Amino acid sequence: MQQQQHRAFSFRRVAAIASITLTELTRLRVFYVLLIFALVLIGSSMFMARMTFQQEFQVLKDISLGAMSLFTSILAIVGTARLLPQDVDDRAVYTILAKPVPRFEYIAGKLGGVLSLLAISMLVMTALFCAVLFARQQAVLAATAHQMTGLPPQELSDALANVRASTFNSSLLPAILLVYIKAAIVASLTLFISTFATSTIFTIVVAVFVYFIGHLQATARAFWLSEHGGGWASRTFLAVVALLFPDLQLFDGVDHLVAGTAIPMALFVKTAALGCFYVVIYLLLATAVFSGKEL
Amino acid sequence: MSELAVSVVGMSKVYPVPFSRRAVVAVRELNLAIASGEVYGLLGPNGSGKSTTLKMILGLVPPSRGRAEIFGRASSDVASRESVGFLPESPYFPKYLTGTETLRFYGKLCGLRGERLRARVGELLELVGLASAADRRLSGYSKGMLQRIGLAQALVNEPRLLVLDEPTAGVDPAGSRDIRDLILRLKERGTTVLLSSHLLEQVQEVCDRVGILANGVLVREGRVEELLAVENQTELILENAPAELLMQIAALASTSGARLVEQRKPQTTLERLFLEATQPEDSSKRRTSNAEHRRSD
Repeated sequence: MQQQQHRAFSFRRVAAIASITLTELTRLRVFYVLLIFALVLIGSSMFMARMTFQQEFQVLKDISLGAMSLFTSILAIVGTARLLPQDVDDRAVYTILAKPVPRFEYIAGKLGGVLSLLAISMLVMTALFCAVLFARQQAVLAATAHQMTGLPPQELSDALANVRASTFNSSLLPAILLVYIKAAIVASLTLFISTFATSTIFTIVVAVFVYFIGHLQATARAFWLSEHGGGWASRTFLAVVALLFPDLQLFDGVDHLVAGTAIPMALFVKTAALGCFYVVIYLLLATAVFSGKEL
Repeated sequence: MSELAVSVVGMSKVYPVPFSRRAVVAVRELNLAIASGEVYGLLGPNGSGKSTTLKMILGLVPPSRGRAEIFGRASSDVASRESVGFLPESPYFPKYLTGTETLRFYGKLCGLRGERLRARVGELLELVGLASAADRRLSGYSKGMLQRIGLAQALVNEPRLLVLDEPTAGVDPAGSRDIRDLILRLKERGTTVLLSSHLLEQVQEVCDRVGILANGVLVREGRVEELLAVENQTELILENAPAELLMQIAALASTSGARLVEQRKPQTTLERLFLEATQPEDSSKRRTSNAEHRRSD
């Protein structure tokens, strides 16, 4: 066979590994269980106690975004933690790395598979969430129109517009994207941990630990700065802590969503860029550790 | 001298023991030179360092000292693996994939795509005798079939060097014979084969040269016939020889100062007996004739 010039990086090789990783992950029962959980949670929000429609939509969004964030994070940790140890244990890694595949591509392909799974999960959950929201919106619109029968058309029109504005607003998409980026950070962090962890359980425990620390980091940072001031030593220390424990609270756009205010575009872009930076850093760290690993 | 497919110089592998000053030496000062087109067998008991040696040659494990090259390129260089195929011991492949999907995946890793990939996958399935099971999931494959799909993935890039770690482990005699026949066919095409095994008869049958590892040290190396020959003895195999002739030969031997050590009927092997008893007549005849053909070589 005519030998091709070897490419230091090939997107096709990464895509092939990502594709097989995704196929492997979709066969995990946990994936379906999590989806069912999400379905149940979002569905149950339809049967909440009587509230005004504004409150109802706010709670529905709050619960749904919270559930999406929680389930995608769990999926990211559980799905990623076993990928590398399993490949090493059953020697599948040898057949892949014995081909002209650099270790960076192998790691990137594995992460690509997890990110694809998270994207599919997010799409399904978003579609479900939007369907529930739309159904409730239609029900409230019908009820409002029924209650306001006989009132001036302008008043009815304002009331209906008010209902519509309370359901779908401009914060919805950015908030959902931030949930995805947060899950991507958690997945890449878990992949990094799994490159040096001694067992899958250890990886999961450490990733969950970092996940919780990541949510408390902002509060702890504010407390630290108030106690120790903002000197360079403090700032360096906080930068290291921020690298080890990403501030995951930044990626919760629920507050804006619930309040009905738009997430400023500059803030969204900055937060998304920070998320991508974390993903790339953890990917590079994972590659560095995995490259020195004895297989 | 022909081009070297594998060159190993002063290669050692030492594994430190955690929390201890001791270290485990898996391979010690190994030197190997395998010519292109050769079939080389690496023998040794369990734990002798065969698999570690193969992994270092493939660049999967870095040596503690020394170096390994494949066709003149450092094995740590990823590009050196373009000309290599590897079948690890007891390989795992995703059970939910079909034979075709498995080979397509490995083909993509080697840069194949489109019609070229499709044709190569079909060719390999034919070569390893799995064309009829191409669309069946690997969960339904027998151990022998899995080993053959493993061999096919190792061949997907038409490698110049094929590295096989215990290629017939857990495979029945018929499957084992198929794998040996395949190795011989690849040898005819000029592919270099480096295999590790502790099935000595099998190695003897296919390898040009062997090296014996014990405790990480290469204790013997050479051409199979040279290593196995008993220098001061000669073997004659006669067909339809009458008893008088045998007596005359024995007498002649004693008058010339030689000693007739043993006179017996040659025996078939248990493997050949097994194959003749379990295979359809046509294929057992073909196998016998293949074996005889090899012996005449």
